[in-house]
Amino acid sequence: MADTSTPNGTAGSWALEARGLGKRYFRGWALRDCSFRIPAGRICGLVGPNGAGKSTLLGLATRQVQRTTGELRVFGTPVDDPAVLPRFAFLGQEKPLFKRFTVADTLRMGAELNPGWDAAAAERIVRSGNVPAHARIGTLSGGQRTRVAFALAFGKRPDLLLLDEPMSDLDPLARDEMSTLLMAEAVERGTTVVMSSHMLTELEDMCDYLLVVAEGRIRMAGDADALVPAHTLVTGVTRDGALPAGLDRHTVVESRVQGRQFQAMIRPKGPLSADWESVEPSLEEVLLAHLRSPDAPSLYTQGARVDAEGTQAA
Amino acid sequence: MSTTPTLTETPAALRPRRRLLRGLPWLVVRQHRTALACVLGIAVLGTLWIVYQRYEMVQLLDARGWPEKEVRYAVDDSRGYSYVHSLLNALPLVLAVFVGAPLIAGDRESGTAQLVTTQSVTRRQWLTAKLGFAYALALVCGLMLSAAFTWWWQPHRSLFFTKWVEGPIFDNTGPVLPALLLFMTAAGITIGVLLRRLVPAMAVALGFTAVSAYVWDEIRIRLGSTQMFTYPKDSDLPARFDEAYEVDRWVGNAQGELFGWGTCAEATEKAQNACIKEHGIINDVIEYLDYDQMAAMQWTAAGLLLAGTALLTGFVLWRVSRRPL
Repeated sequence: MADTSTPNGTAGSWALEARGLGKRYFRGWALRDCSFRIPAGRICGLVGPNGAGKSTLLGLATRQVQRTTGELRVFGTPVDDPAVLPRFAFLGQEKPLFKRFTVADTLRMGAELNPGWDAAAAERIVRSGNVPAHARIGTLSGGQRTRVAFALAFGKRPDLLLLDEPMSDLDPLARDEMSTLLMAEAVERGTTVVMSSHMLTELEDMCDYLLVVAEGRIRMAGDADALVPAHTLVTGVTRDGALPAGLDRHTVVESRVQGRQFQAMIRPKGPLSADWESVEPSLEEVLLAHLRSPDAPSLYTQGARVDAEGTQAA
Repeated sequence: MSTTPTLTETPAALRPRRRLLRGLPWLVVRQHRTALACVLGIAVLGTLWIVYQRYEMVQLLDARGWPEKEVRYAVDDSRGYSYVHSLLNALPLVLAVFVGAPLIAGDRESGTAQLVTTQSVTRRQWLTAKLGFAYALALVCGLMLSAAFTWWWQPHRSLFFTKWVEGPIFDNTGPVLPALLLFMTAAGITIGVLLRRLVPAMAVALGFTAVSAYVWDEIRIRLGSTQMFTYPKDSDLPARFDEAYEVDRWVGNAQGELFGWGTCAEATEKAQNACIKEHGIINDVIEYLDYDQMAAMQWTAAGLLLAGTALLTGFVLWRVSRRPL
């Protein structure tokens, strides 16, 4: 398996660390038995279908949701400790702001409530979007409002930025502008970013770390560069309409039989049969295969798993 | 767009030199400044109106030589008093429905509760600032209006038709008004925290205000223990009972047995006299609350309301720390 660049040593080098984390609502478990680690300084994509538990996970990390089981640490500090508050910033789906506040009021709120407020950075972000300082938030366009929300988030000087589908309601132009802003600010400061998104292409461009969630459980966690090469897309001939026995030696994520042919997304464990044609899949194909088959064994790259060190036997 | 000032042009506007308020108190006051201005404005105008009414009345009474000469004057008839009465009656409702109920529910509905608590402040700090703001507002309004109204009513109470034990006087003087406003605010906040939605919370707070007014009417009269006074039948009640509030009236015989007031209310005088003779009724008895009991009753009322406020506040803090907003 490809080597992963994971920090080792101090606990603070993990931006987010979960052990057996779970959240149960009245209707059932939203998130169950989640153990993973996200190294500091990475841009992590949080992927999963609707209702998979992405928002719950972000809610747990931002203290908006109380966990039922397990533990969660932000840079080594338990999430219940108020000391984690200045270290993260959160941008939710709705990007709530006080509608009657002016832009200047909103930035002053950031200054009043955050000890490490970076007024220059916040003002720069607002200014570069030509957002008038004395306009009320309620009168701004969606893109401008998102920009103010970003300014509030970056003005906090967070070490960890958590985003819940931040671009979902933006037009393509504003989306592009915001992604550029996000990447520039994050890279400049070395901020760890965890963002959930439905846009697989967006994730492929921006993220170098992935956390895949489905049905409340972690399906995959690790370096984007290591997760994809761990998979192979094989095509071959079926035996009596069934999958060939040789396939069982490998971990099958997803398989399809079409006539006399089969196609399977596998994680190879040893040499592949010479009869089969194999190609390396794209990130999108791997993600889709995992999202379609939530029962497939989960995959963690080195360091991403907490309890069992190193790569889980796949 | 080019004419609108941007941050580049007016950086000074972002950093006012004089800052009276900082941190969370600034945020809470900035967020609720409309409500603050309205409620404080009502309270200040109301206070001034009471002071003016008192001044006008004192002028009139002085001209007529009160209290040496008897003056036929009833405060309750004047239009000025009816304004004061409606204002003081409406204030608990205003605080419960327009200050208390939206305080937390509004932020939860609009998501700004999440915005504030993902800055570097904890939920409890935010809640404390919010509650502090609402209670301070209720307390200031209550103290101001109660002081003014007590100052008007107390020396001239014989000219008020409404008895001291009745709601319009008892609830709006002394320590009761501030305590009542605090309690109604706390009730509104609790309803908002439980319902999480702005409009339902305001509607339920409105209903609660109406129900609590009925319940409070029942409680008020029971705050003091009644006394009995026996005097000969068909004689006048001594003058010292002018200010006493009559709870009930009885008739009694020489043995101290009491009969209901209407026991011998017969159709004919003959039958009535026969009845009186039969029961040996010689006395009239009144069951009353004395004006001297008012202070104790008011402090008991204030104590009850403040205990209720503390209970509701404790519940809100406990609930919010147990399950996030």
